[in-house]
Amino acid sequence: MLTFILRRVAAGIVVLCAISFITYVLLYFSSANIARNILGEFASQDQVAAKEVALGLDQPLMTRFFAWAGHAITGDFGTSWFTAEPVVHALENRLPVTLTLVVVAIVLIAICATLLGMAAAVKRGWIDRVVQTAAVVGDAIPGFVIAIVLVTLFAIQLKLFPATSSIVPGAGADVWIASLALPVIALLINGVTGGAQQIRSAVIKQLEKDYVRTLRSRGISEREILFKHVLRSAAPAGLTVLSLQFIGMLGGVVILEQIFALPGMGALAVQSTTMGDIPLVMGVVLYTVVIVIIVNLLVDLINGWLNPKVRVS
Amino acid sequence: MSQPAAASGQTGTVVRSRVITRILKNPLGITAIAILSLMILMAVLANVLAPFDPNFANIGKTLASPDASNLLGTDSVGRDVWSRLVFGARTTLLSALLCATVAIVIGLPTGLIAGYYGGKFDAVANWVVNILMSLPGIIVLLTVRAAFGPSVWISMVAFGVLLSPGYFRLTRTSVQAVRNELYVDAARVAGLSDGSIIARHIFSVVRAPIIIQTAMVCGIAIAIQSGLEFLGLGDPTVATWGVMLSEGFKNVYLNPTLLLWPALAIGLSIGGLVLLGNAVRDALEDGVKIKARKAAPAPAAGGAAPASRADRRKVATVDAGTEHHLVKVSHLGVGYPQADGSVKKVVDDVSFHLDRGEVLGIVGESGSGKSQTAFSILGLLPDNARIVAGCIQFDGNYTVAPGDDVVSQGRVSSLRGKRISYIPQEPMSNLDPAFTIGYQLVTPMMRVLGISKAEATSRAMKLLADVGIVSPERTFKAYPHEVSGGMAQRVLIAGAISCEPDLIIADEPTTALDVTVQADVLDLIRDLQKRLGVGVLLVTHNFGVVSDLCDRVVVMQNGRLVEEGPVREILRNPSDPYTQKLLGSMLEGKEPMTMLVPAGMEA
Amino acid sequence: MKFGPKAASVAAIAAMTIALSACGGGGGTPAGPAAAGTTSLTLASLQDLKSFDTSVAHIGHTMPIFQTAYDSLIQRLPDGKLAPMLATKWEYNADNTVLTVSLRTGVTFSDGAKFDAAAAKANLDYFKKAKGSDAYQVASLGSVDVVDDSTIKITLATPDPAFEYYLTQAAGLMGSPKALGTPEMAAAPDGTGPYVMDKASSVVGSQYVFTKREGYWNADLQKFAKVTIKILPDLTARTNALVSGQIDGALLDPKTGKQAEAAGMKLNSSQVDWQGLLLFDRDGKINPELANVKVRQAINFAFDRKTILEQQYLGQGTVTDQVFGPESGAYVEGLENKYNYDPAKAKSLLAEAGYANGFTLKLPSFTGYEAIVAVITQQLGDVGIKVESVPVPNANVVSDFAAGKFAVAPFQLYQGEPWVAINQMISTTALYNPFKATTPELQAMIDAVHNGGTNSAELAKDVNTYVTDNAWFAPLYRLNQMYYTSKAITVTPQLQQAVPSIYNYAPAK
Repeated sequence: MLTFILRRVAAGIVVLCAISFITYVLLYFSSANIARNILGEFASQDQVAAKEVALGLDQPLMTRFFAWAGHAITGDFGTSWFTAEPVVHALENRLPVTLTLVVVAIVLIAICATLLGMAAAVKRGWIDRVVQTAAVVGDAIPGFVIAIVLVTLFAIQLKLFPATSSIVPGAGADVWIASLALPVIALLINGVTGGAQQIRSAVIKQLEKDYVRTLRSRGISEREILFKHVLRSAAPAGLTVLSLQFIGMLGGVVILEQIFALPGMGALAVQSTTMGDIPLVMGVVLYTVVIVIIVNLLVDLINGWLNPKVRVS
Repeated sequence: MSQPAAASGQTGTVVRSRVITRILKNPLGITAIAILSLMILMAVLANVLAPFDPNFANIGKTLASPDASNLLGTDSVGRDVWSRLVFGARTTLLSALLCATVAIVIGLPTGLIAGYYGGKFDAVANWVVNILMSLPGIIVLLTVRAAFGPSVWISMVAFGVLLSPGYFRLTRTSVQAVRNELYVDAARVAGLSDGSIIARHIFSVVRAPIIIQTAMVCGIAIAIQSGLEFLGLGDPTVATWGVMLSEGFKNVYLNPTLLLWPALAIGLSIGGLVLLGNAVRDALEDGVKIKARKAAPAPAAGGAAPASRADRRKVATVDAGTEHHLVKVSHLGVGYPQADGSVKKVVDDVSFHLDRGEVLGIVGESGSGKSQTAFSILGLLPDNARIVAGCIQFDGNYTVAPGDDVVSQGRVSSLRGKRISYIPQEPMSNLDPAFTIGYQLVTPMMRVLGISKAEATSRAMKLLADVGIVSPERTFKAYPHEVSGGMAQRVLIAGAISCEPDLIIADEPTTALDVTVQADVLDLIRDLQKRLGVGVLLVTHNFGVVSDLCDRVVVMQNGRLVEEGPVREILRNPSDPYTQKLLGSMLEGKEPMTMLVPAGMEA
Repeated sequence: MKFGPKAASVAAIAAMTIALSACGGGGGTPAGPAAAGTTSLTLASLQDLKSFDTSVAHIGHTMPIFQTAYDSLIQRLPDGKLAPMLATKWEYNADNTVLTVSLRTGVTFSDGAKFDAAAAKANLDYFKKAKGSDAYQVASLGSVDVVDDSTIKITLATPDPAFEYYLTQAAGLMGSPKALGTPEMAAAPDGTGPYVMDKASSVVGSQYVFTKREGYWNADLQKFAKVTIKILPDLTARTNALVSGQIDGALLDPKTGKQAEAAGMKLNSSQVDWQGLLLFDRDGKINPELANVKVRQAINFAFDRKTILEQQYLGQGTVTDQVFGPESGAYVEGLENKYNYDPAKAKSLLAEAGYANGFTLKLPSFTGYEAIVAVITQQLGDVGIKVESVPVPNANVVSDFAAGKFAVAPFQLYQGEPWVAINQMISTTALYNPFKATTPELQAMIDAVHNGGTNSAELAKDVNTYVTDNAWFAPLYRLNQMYYTSKAITVTPQLQQAVPSIYNYAPAK
């Protein structure tokens, strides 16, 4: 078990290094105008040139990368080139918002999708058709359209929730709930039906398994078969889908963060990549990848716990 | 249920059709194809359909309502919305296709090679795939955009690379699954090159999943593209739906329809792609689509199904004088409704009975309806099966009363486990791999007999010892994959007798086992049957097993009962030609025999 | 499972219906009534500041955030007149090179340090040394000398008609001398301003919260107990926040403005920017055609300014043919209507210049300008100039202009004081004159403005006339800044400033 985790962590670190390098190379190609953008439109060409030297933008790619990596290894991600805010500080402020949003949404999606998916698989009939149709509709409506509708209805018309977030560090739970409710609902509407569709397929697949018939023949109640046996075997498929949704959402919340003015990672990502704020982009990418790796590891561990066969190998 | 059993035996045909026909018959499939064809037609005929250049701006006529020259009105710059929508279809669909093509070009060949050859390439490819899948997509796209400019085509190429792992994994898994199939081996032996094997055999396996995946990928590509464009990160000089959406959004308060049209186009296209994917999947998975007839009640799925018509009706009492039979099956017919509304009958007019302590064999080839008959008694027929005729009674009560069209779960579920138990054919797949053997033995006892966990555990230990397992403790704690097939079958037999049933239905209990283990398991069943005095309904194709265990035997062919009688009589004197043939094939030694074949048979 | 997808989709459809009907007009509910005696002010800023370091302070949208915490030496009143602030009196010498400034006494920074002549000198020196985005404001600054505890003497290397104005802007902001250039100051302001930042409630990039400073020297500038500035770059988010009553003021645009008006918000309009084409390549380095003044004039004649303004900005602005604003002092009434829409004339001018068959022009297109680029493309196309638009990421727009990558660019520039405007787009050192185009005649006019002292605005009229006659630009119109406020507050627009100064807000009576 421990060796498994260690091996995965080691693999994760290699992935992290590879992704850092790839991202850095990409950013290298887009770093032509950074000094000018930092200094603003009134700076002279001399100032711009001096700034480029100061930032090391005149150095070759590999020199720059290793200089960055050398600091990053010690946990020093530098400061944003544009705001002079330490990168770690910027991320610490924003990560909780995005993570809360995504985790809450994914938990709700997991619960709702499981219930809906199982209902659709077991009962078939109208509920199945509704889930199937809703899955298509959920896929087809762009997320931001849902968000706009939610804002218009619940924030502007009914004034039940704030139209834009008022999350600040140390804000009470009430503020967090009020600010995140609409974005979470938007994510939920977008994600739940797809998840339910996947759970449905997985459950149907399990229901066709021989052991289900044998369990029935043993007099085990249908409820117990469903919630204990079928769900457990269908869970890995569902977990994989949820983990993919989670990873997708980490980047995908950027649109929601913009509409709801949430101070999250997505907004930071868009801003820093479009500006060419390399230290900040690298910080965002690394944090995101670390989260992705942790989530994947967790999913594998849970799958191992669910499926003893995987556990051994 | 009033399906007249005019023809005897198995009637009707399984309605199979080609995948494409099936998709076309599926209303959702045809809808999807219609939507997508429409979109593609729009894209192809853009030059013909659009009255204006997509960028032609009548600056004096902005945000106009629809009129004769501007079918859908104009946007905020005075460009014709219809023309932009039509040209937008071209760019949007082409870019989605580009994305999918890139993903396929990268993912498919690498997946094929990795799956077919494995080894180092596989390891490296998997590693790369892991990296690609850990990359935060939006951030990569933003970076690519910053580096190479806001071109739709470049972003879609980059996105295609990001999506290629999907194809890689899909192809690799499919190829691995068929790589060692017999027909591939045969092709290899026949001297076909790897290339032609891949082209001929393996590619046909991955074709359908690739189509499904491509539909999904195109949908995702359209969605992500419009998302980026919504954020203002697109290429404003090219008319795409996303650009239109973004433009419409800025003017939503003045003219909401500007948002409506591109949103509708995007929604319909993504929806169409998803539906197409679903339709292809359904066509492949379901094979035969069952058209539920209005007359038939909702399919009953096990005990969770809503009370069917059979449950609600007052249960009829069985014919006087037949109460003493443990099981009595009378004129049973089982059928499956087909897509064309007909019913394929798999069991027809089967009648027999089984008394307490008796062992009855049902013999027949596979497809003769013997298992269907057994499952009718257990009440575990597939959801879409229908009782088309006859009735079944257990211990003097109907489980299928005359006129019922499904097995009454209300009546039979209380019997299952407690009074009727089941020994399946394939031991490994009949144990839940996620739970220990002990758990799977103990739980039914706790539920059915209402005993404590401790008591159930000690009983389970004894049972395991009873079925000849040498170290019950170890087996108790083991997971199914940790024991051998023979051991697993003993566990299943222990499970079948754990709640002291009156009837055990054993469905080919030895077929899946090694020859050496078969005899042991048969011995076990015989011993237990004698000791517990239960009735056993033994379903088998093997006359050797029948002669070994059974008191009486019924022979089935094509869903009909052809012969019934005491074992010895039928073995000595088979009257039906089919029985003679079955016996004959056995004697030719196709199935290795146990030592118990009576000497007289060889005459 | 009660809340199934069906319920959700019903809700969504209902919401869509309401949303659309609201969009149709008339559906919006007015924001909640203003609480009597409002003591808090919440504003939206469409830009975040880089940091609270005074050296990165920048003219424009973020200036009010700085003003909340920092006082400037001179205060610029809403109408553009200068008023004492930390400087009580200032006076030039005869040749406009030495400015003697008397300073207010008894003022302290939020860290307790005293504001005096040494502090003022430290700030100006720091601002010059730090070379922030507005370093051009102190380009002419030679040295600062402390005369006595409350007087400094600023010596300019060369006269700068805009210097007093600069002291109302970034260059005039005064921070605690101990904090200058420190990370602490970057994270939290340390000035003498009317409010102090509440660090615990502030998040970089999201919102800044300020509370009233006790014992501030001028209670008239502290009309609220608390000021919150939310960073809302997204126009929709700003509109939603304002309409739903989360904020009291925000800069919108004519289109979202309709929605705000329906919700009972008040428009405070002012004109700050001109929009049009910058015809950079007057020397014909990229497009030889543009070296010919007739071609540049033809471009000016190609635009139906009135229709564009009407259709694109719902008429919220004033068409113009010159780049100097009416309040700048360099405005020349007679220049208007010089380039009235006349495509026939444009074509004949092109023909006279030898381009009867037109030519091709590359035009950058970027976020926010998609619509106007489409309009320009169409109108130039109509007179025979074919436009190829090149998408440019927004972050690169200004640097691409400055690097001379485009002969012509659509843009929007603020109409500042004449000397500021000249140095922004006309002089050879101006950012928006990337090819350093000039003529001896023009240079002489610019020099006259430079040395013109109090007369410089008047002299700038010649520059204006020259660049208009020679079609250095193709201005289209001055745009109205659509600044909306809730009923809880009132505000006076600030001349030549994107958003009002923080001093201009007051609780509604």
